[in-house]
Amino acid sequence: MLPVIEITKRCLEGTPCLESDFDLEIFAPRVRELVKEYGIAYDTDVIVPSDNGLADSVFKAAVELVVDVGMFCKDTERIVKFEEQEVRKAIKTAQRETTFGEGEERRTLRSRTPESKDHPWIFAGAGGVTVSNENIFMRLVENYARMIPKANAITTPCLLEVDGMSIRARSPLEIVGSIRTVMLGREALRRAERPGLPIMNGISTAESAVALISGLHPDFGLRKSDGYMISLLAELKTDFDLLNRAALLQSIDVPIAGIYGPIFGGFAGGAEGTAIASVAFHILAMLAYRASWTLCFPIHIKHISSSSPELIWTASVYSQAVSRNTELPALYYPYTAAGPCTDMVLREFAAQFIAAISSGVSIETGGVAKGKYFDYLTPIEPMFGSEVAYAAAGLKRSDADDMVKELLSRFIEKIPNPPKGSRFQECCDQTTGKPSKKCFSIYKKVRDEVSDLGIEFSS
Amino acid sequence: MNDSVNKLKEAVIKGDYKNTPDLAREALEAGVSPIEVLKKGITDAATIVGDQFERMEIYLPELMMSGKAMMAGIDVILPRISSSDDVIKGRVVVGTALGDVHEIGKNILKVLLIASGFEVSDLGVNVPTSKFIQEAERINADIIAISALMTSTLGGQKDVIDYLRETGKRDKYIIMVGGGPTNKQWADTIGADGFAESAPDAVREAIRLIEERRG
Repeated sequence: MLPVIEITKRCLEGTPCLESDFDLEIFAPRVRELVKEYGIAYDTDVIVPSDNGLADSVFKAAVELVVDVGMFCKDTERIVKFEEQEVRKAIKTAQRETTFGEGEERRTLRSRTPESKDHPWIFAGAGGVTVSNENIFMRLVENYARMIPKANAITTPCLLEVDGMSIRARSPLEIVGSIRTVMLGREALRRAERPGLPIMNGISTAESAVALISGLHPDFGLRKSDGYMISLLAELKTDFDLLNRAALLQSIDVPIAGIYGPIFGGFAGGAEGTAIASVAFHILAMLAYRASWTLCFPIHIKHISSSSPELIWTASVYSQAVSRNTELPALYYPYTAAGPCTDMVLREFAAQFIAAISSGVSIETGGVAKGKYFDYLTPIEPMFGSEVAYAAAGLKRSDADDMVKELLSRFIEKIPNPPKGSRFQECCDQTTGKPSKKCFSIYKKVRDEVSDLGIEFSS
Repeated sequence: MNDSVNKLKEAVIKGDYKNTPDLAREALEAGVSPIEVLKKGITDAATIVGDQFERMEIYLPELMMSGKAMMAGIDVILPRISSSDDVIKGRVVVGTALGDVHEIGKNILKVLLIASGFEVSDLGVNVPTSKFIQEAERINADIIAISALMTSTLGGQKDVIDYLRETGKRDKYIIMVGGGPTNKQWADTIGADGFAESAPDAVREAIRLIEERRG
């Protein structure tokens, strides 16, 4: 594994390059070549492929991409290169498991494989989507912990305001908001009587390294057994603010996730290139940040969601490629087009989680309504997503393919103009945070649909 | 259509930015009027590329390369037109709000605006409030378009509007906002003139707002 000082040295001393040249003259053409060289093709008739050869080809192409293209540092406008030997060593020596949580909630995250009967890691909650006030934050987190017993970890919302003021990036408001996010999250889990449950998106409100570092002070409640995320930027990029987080988090020896949102239709091109780029990110997370787990959230450049067939194919092939060829635990995070308290959002979650789990990864319950609107969150969606993901363990990819196609047929037409759904204030009791009867009746209806497709829920 | 204009159009569609200046010169030297070269060689190609991108038949690299080719061609043609105001739909300053380093959406918008006949000044990412205004004054812009991809950087859009209002310049410019967390409600709250969910919608909105202002 490369120390952060070595990565920084390469940022400072790598080949100078304009960012637009990296995107258009280096990254994009090499991805196109690799798609051709490895004969990787998206077959529109198969959304969850059962072809191990395809997954392995995507992995090999991604290794070549990392070696040939490297990583771009936005601050220095230079390319960080990695030797093939370094890449192979990072893959071989990747951390195989990480333990999170305290007391009764102490659990170990391990990698899975396609069609594995091992239950996935359930990282449930808001997926970092924004809420407008602290009451909604508290009610949501409490109810995630209460209503999702299978949750191994919680993903908290992001705060929009502190004391009535909108949080501004890199301002004192972001520092205060980040500290408050940590304190509220811990307190909500205590109130839900699951105080040991880990928060794995530390810290959702912190957009900058300085805010993350501020919120890490032990007085506020984050623990070494929580999870910490560092983004890689689309496509195959980093900057000093992100590496600053790596410098600190590596020094205090906490579980680091490399997180990344490759863009379908962006510089990687279509589904094939986006799958290769997604795997390349997984490898870069080990190399650049010494990640002990990764989180991938591919996104459609037009729809800003991940439930369309080409994106589910991308997620499935990515998941199979990384789970067959590395032992670093990988999680998948979906974006739904539809909002809370709709049939569509639950069908979108079901399709994506069935594909991801049968393809060998674990899950974070994702961003509802594209993660775009504040307060468009309820506990129902992550609860349902967690139940589907848990029950999908052991599913054959061919069966998953049939189920996903059936689910897709029920919402695909609505992806360009999805129902926005309802806000927390309209769906949930303001005092207890419990979802309304209407939410539960939609949940029951879609759960029955998914059950009819062959998913066996445990209760 | 003149063969040289056709070649220029094909080069723009293919994103062949190295050859578009020579092909534009060739068309002009063949006696085709600059406005005709611009319309048939660049704008028509741009429309085709924009439509292909909207249908996802091509992706961002192809779109960006075509954008580069368009700019290279336009740089040759515009000085030959007596008043570029006659052929330019409007002038737009684009940039990402202070504190925000996301730019893919803003870059798509830039290319689609150029493709639709706008002159665009791109300030990049993490743009300070006053920079938007200085640049708008420098190029005599019609529109200032501000992108933000994080809830914590949305405030940068409001700052530009407030700054313009407090310095008595608000009415000089059309302000458009866009990016992940923005929506119509936010645009109305901060007093923006336009908002769009996507880059193609933003171009349509820009055209509508310009036409509305010019009556």
